[in-house]
Amino acid sequence: MYLEIKDLTVLYDRAMVLNGVSLTVGKGEFVSLVGPNGAGKTTLLRAIAGLVKWEKDTLKGTRAGRITLEGSVKFDGEEVTNLPAHEIARRGLILCPERGRPFREMTVLDNLRAGAFGCKDKKVVSRNLERVYHLFPRLKEREKQISGTLSGGERFMLTIGRAMMSQPKLFMIDEPSVGLAPKVKEDLFARVKEIYEQGSTILMTEQDVSFAFDLAGRNYVISKGHLVGEGTAKDLLADESLRKTYLGL
Amino acid sequence: MGSYLYRLYRGFQGEILAVPGRVIALIFVTLLFLLPHIIPHPLVLKIFSLAALFAIFAASWDFLSGFTGQLNLGHALFFGVSAYSAALLNVHLGVPPWATIPIGAIAGVIAGLLVGIPALRLRGFYLALVTLAFPIILIGVIFVFPDITGGELGLFGVDRLSGSRVLDYYIILLVATASILVMWKLTDGRSKIVRTGVILHAIREDEITARASGINTVRYKLMVFSISGFFAGVAGGLYAHYIRIAGPSILELFFSFQPIIWTIFGGIVTIYGAVAGVFILYPLVELVRLHPVGEIYRIVLMVLILIVVLLFMPQGITRWVRDHIEEICPRCKLINIRTRRYCRACRAPLRAEK
Repeated sequence: MYLEIKDLTVLYDRAMVLNGVSLTVGKGEFVSLVGPNGAGKTTLLRAIAGLVKWEKDTLKGTRAGRITLEGSVKFDGEEVTNLPAHEIARRGLILCPERGRPFREMTVLDNLRAGAFGCKDKKVVSRNLERVYHLFPRLKEREKQISGTLSGGERFMLTIGRAMMSQPKLFMIDEPSVGLAPKVKEDLFARVKEIYEQGSTILMTEQDVSFAFDLAGRNYVISKGHLVGEGTAKDLLADESLRKTYLGL
Repeated sequence: MGSYLYRLYRGFQGEILAVPGRVIALIFVTLLFLLPHIIPHPLVLKIFSLAALFAIFAASWDFLSGFTGQLNLGHALFFGVSAYSAALLNVHLGVPPWATIPIGAIAGVIAGLLVGIPALRLRGFYLALVTLAFPIILIGVIFVFPDITGGELGLFGVDRLSGSRVLDYYIILLVATASILVMWKLTDGRSKIVRTGVILHAIREDEITARASGINTVRYKLMVFSISGFFAGVAGGLYAHYIRIAGPSILELFFSFQPIIWTIFGGIVTIYGAVAGVFILYPLVELVRLHPVGEIYRIVLMVLILIVVLLFMPQGITRWVRDHIEEICPRCKLINIRTRRYCRACRAPLRAEK
């Protein structure tokens, strides 16, 4: 398996956020992770990306730093559990955080360049930039604009673009549809699909179940830190209780 | 009558005896009040008088910069304005200490309002830079009128606070205890009497949301500046009468940084952290100073202690201790001693059970 997570447990002080989550993502697979608010989706991605460990290390000695992190994360046959976050990113496991989080006062182009930080080869960088602009012509138009002034949809494009610049082997996209109009959403999911069809591996969290199930080949349902379901959209929807309790379809 | 006393005792038990941090504070204050009987050495009394006085000063900085987030790098201004007002009135007009100290505190309030006005428009580093300039301006003014202010040498011959060292100590300690209690109560977010604690917290976190919630942030910011100026002024007035001199050294940069160092060392945004920081660092540095070698290295020593402590306790010493002896109940938010497994009031489990 490409990405393999075993018994990942995260406690913030006493609050159990993830309770023994195990999941896998195969190479070239599109996996979605759905669940209600506060289920632990974002924390799971943060834990994989090494951000929970980073948080734990920097907050050591304070009340907020009482974080328990257990379990193992394997990526591309390598143990990445104890690696610092930037090392994990350099290995091609890239997180697109929720709401995009662009570098607000930098221009769109600078944001994209920041994404290419790990890549030394200038030719590869300019080729990647071409790819991003091809996929999102809108970004090319806004190249010189300060990214804090972008609209929600453009900001999402920028995040995806920034991630693409770092030559990801596996995209982790956190809640891409947050705060977007349905029409924009549709368009953006089509782009995500395009990226996937070009041969990327994607792990995406999403609250909008119908969109996620349309795209993903395999899905996980998470609730209160537990995985409660796994399978293709068809399998999951066939399970009456799962569908009514967690999916609302 | 009996039942009333019993209720009082139960209240005392629930509010103080059951909260380890408050027990420590109670023991500490009791020891301070007994100090002249335990160690009647004049030097010890002097160090602790000054520590009590600086505790007000540091707490007032925490009140302004910690709780309300108005970074003030020129806190010595309030202290100095008050010390000089008290000294000037006392030396030139012969006004007695019981009147000069309140007048000095009011001078501190005025200084607070004066600094508060630019603070309405400036934020963060910009505000810090402006506040940094105020005490330096005042030093300049003092040097311009050496006949009245004493110039570089300072103003000598200020009256003593009272007749004896022990009485001085008790006056300062009483004023300090009262001032710190008032500041602590004003900033207490759980208080049922005053709601300023919540409001100041809101302003610190997000001023836009605070305004949108109907909080007049202008009024509260000015209020915070004047209250902080008032207490720093109380400390300044006491200082002038205790040390019996008001010199320009109390307006210097280092004097503004001292409360910041103490507060961050003890734990910012707590009030009690500022007090603890003063009572740990100040006597320590003063004691080291007695030794001829220590005299040279005291600043190095202080900075080393500071770095080591902050490395292991990034939020300051009191918060670290608090987190190791107290536990907040997840359900009813009551403070429990850490050894308990279930909350003392609502019986909710205090630790995660796997």
